[in-house]
Amino acid sequence: MRLTINNLKKKSKDEIAQMLGLTDDLPPSKEAALERLSTLGIPTKKSEEYRYFDVESLLDKSYEVHMHVPKEPKIGEKIVIENGIIIEVPKGMRVYYDQCDALDLTHYDPIYYLGHLLAPHVIKIDLDGDAEVELVHRYTHSGALLPYRIVLFNQENRHATVYETFETEEISDSLILYGYDMHIAKDSTLRLIKTQSMDENRYAMISSNRIKVNDHANALIKTFDLGGDQALQLFKVDLGTYSHIDAGHLLYLNHQAKRGTVSKINHIGEHSTSQQEAKNILDGNARGIFDALIKVEHSAKWTKAHQNSKAILLHEDAYMAAKPQLEIYIDELEASHGATTGQLDRKQIFYLQSRGISYVEARKMLVIAFANTLIETVKDTRHQERIQKAFEKAFYTGHKELKR
Amino acid sequence: MSNNKNEKVLEIKDVHAKIGNKEILKGLSLDLEPGKVHAIMGPNGAGKSTLSKTIVGHYDVEMTGGDIIYKGKSIKDWEPEERALEGIFLSFQHPVEIPGVNNAYFLRTAVNAKRKHEGKEELNAAEFLREMKKYLELLGMKSDMISRSLNEGFSGGEKKRNEILQMMMLEPDVIILDEIDSGLDIDALRAVSEGINRMKDGKRSFLVITHYSRILDYIEPDYIHVLKDGKVIKTAGPELVAQLEEHGYDAIEE
Ligand SMILES: Nc1ncnc2c1ncn2[C@@H]1O[C@H](COP(=O)(O)OP(=O)(O)O)[C@@H](O)[C@H]1O
Ligand SMILES: [Mg+2]
Repeated sequence: MRLTINNLKKKSKDEIAQMLGLTDDLPPSKEAALERLSTLGIPTKKSEEYRYFDVESLLDKSYEVHMHVPKEPKIGEKIVIENGIIIEVPKGMRVYYDQCDALDLTHYDPIYYLGHLLAPHVIKIDLDGDAEVELVHRYTHSGALLPYRIVLFNQENRHATVYETFETEEISDSLILYGYDMHIAKDSTLRLIKTQSMDENRYAMISSNRIKVNDHANALIKTFDLGGDQALQLFKVDLGTYSHIDAGHLLYLNHQAKRGTVSKINHIGEHSTSQQEAKNILDGNARGIFDALIKVEHSAKWTKAHQNSKAILLHEDAYMAAKPQLEIYIDELEASHGATTGQLDRKQIFYLQSRGISYVEARKMLVIAFANTLIETVKDTRHQERIQKAFEKAFYTGHKELKR
Repeated sequence: MSNNKNEKVLEIKDVHAKIGNKEILKGLSLDLEPGKVHAIMGPNGAGKSTLSKTIVGHYDVEMTGGDIIYKGKSIKDWEPEERALEGIFLSFQHPVEIPGVNNAYFLRTAVNAKRKHEGKEELNAAEFLREMKKYLELLGMKSDMISRSLNEGFSGGEKKRNEILQMMMLEPDVIILDEIDSGLDIDALRAVSEGINRMKDGKRSFLVITHYSRILDYIEPDYIHVLKDGKVIKTAGPELVAQLEEHGYDAIEE
């Protein structure tokens, strides 16, 4: 089946269902998704959450919708999902296809619902105990629209970690609609450490996520988005009583990349806390996006919310769209937000030069230092080094030297 | 003193220099001899730091006239890193803090850049650390200086000692010390001076910029130059220090 998503614009529910090849007797979750999609409409450049991202040109292309043909996964070290199909699972780990039974009916992102409608099933991952798992996504098709979604559960009182990476063959012009529905159990911690290095013109991605942080639970979301191309990650986070989210986003972009984060963190429960930090390094003609709202509901007394974005522009054609926002309905809270954009510090560059380090090398040291302040928040040294290497690889291959 | 060209390692010739629109150095001339300690003294705002910045090629300074000859070559158009690689070192009055850049990693990069420039083999991490620890001990510095970020959160004394550490490991030929003594307690002053004195080898030259004469009790100068209003107005032997202390800079005649 071929599909141009923009053709779904201004269509009725029934027409959309038909165009997506959905039959009459839809399960309730798909019925609800259809309802929400038709209410929200297909995103355009006027949609608030897509205002800095060139969504229309992506949705205007005609793609071959990828057919999911599940097969028996082999036992391995990691979870490997290739083109939306589980192909490898660690021994004893529960990773399986299922229907989505816990759709978020108040997500702001229409692509969240489109992804759910297009994905024939969700991939459920039940994280047992203090699991530490590596999750690899792999894409091998060109010109494809690949919709798939993960539903992730962990256990109460447990502390699980997912290290997520993305691989690709030499493909081009694909669009991946992906994302999590994450349910973080009471009194638990879930850490998601995502590293996504992208080459120019391989695939674009819209990853639309929902994270429900239950009472007294902790979410730790660290994303390292490196390289080129177009990708947007959208988060909707709901925070329960005494719950906490610590989100950090590193962007290193080059060439014509347009990537970044759109997020809404909703403080719903009392004493919930959020901390979100974006560090952005923009090279070439790249555009970085950090469009992040923290909303503190009437019910969320005594919350703490801190949000900050720092951007370094390495090239005069690079651009950062940083929009940290606070929406607050109560008085009893502690909140701060801010955004800065600047260049590397001349004084620092000069200091290094005065010790015999070249201008180019000095700039590189300072860029890596800036990135390291976030990479070092990944406590596991093996993964910390892996991310450092991924960063340096993206930086050393993509950095466009600037004349003095 | 001799006029023999070979006995000057650095010749500053009638240098005029601006910062912004303001002319700070107004025809400054000064020669440094190999193996000698030259002290520059002068009132606040005279242009002492500007002189040091001019020699190392700081971006703040625009040279509008004159020349700087180092080992027989004009360096006024050289990049700062070329000047450093060729052996000019400035200990900054206010060393900048660089969070995220590990102190040892930084210094190893600098040392190896210079070794490479000189056609020497680069030091591996273990070899370098052994060297660095030796100097840390000598300067009375804590071993956490290895793992901390460059100058980040260092006390005034720690910053100055870290400058001297770099000087010792980079083994430069011309060493400019801009107010190395300011803000140092007596222990730090001793440690820093000892480091400097160890570097005296009869070939290296020192340009010791100071506002006070205190440091000159520890590092015996061969020449005293008085800098005032962008020019060197007097050059004499160490006996000038006592005179300056007694009568101040205003008493110096051009
Ligand atoms: N970055 C700068 N911008 C503007 N003026 C400066 C700057 N640096 C120094 N100056 C001025 O240049 C003059 C000489 O300063 P400086 O060389 O620091 O003197 P010294 O080190 O002898 O105290 C002073 O009048 C000072 O105000
Ligand atoms: Mg000064």
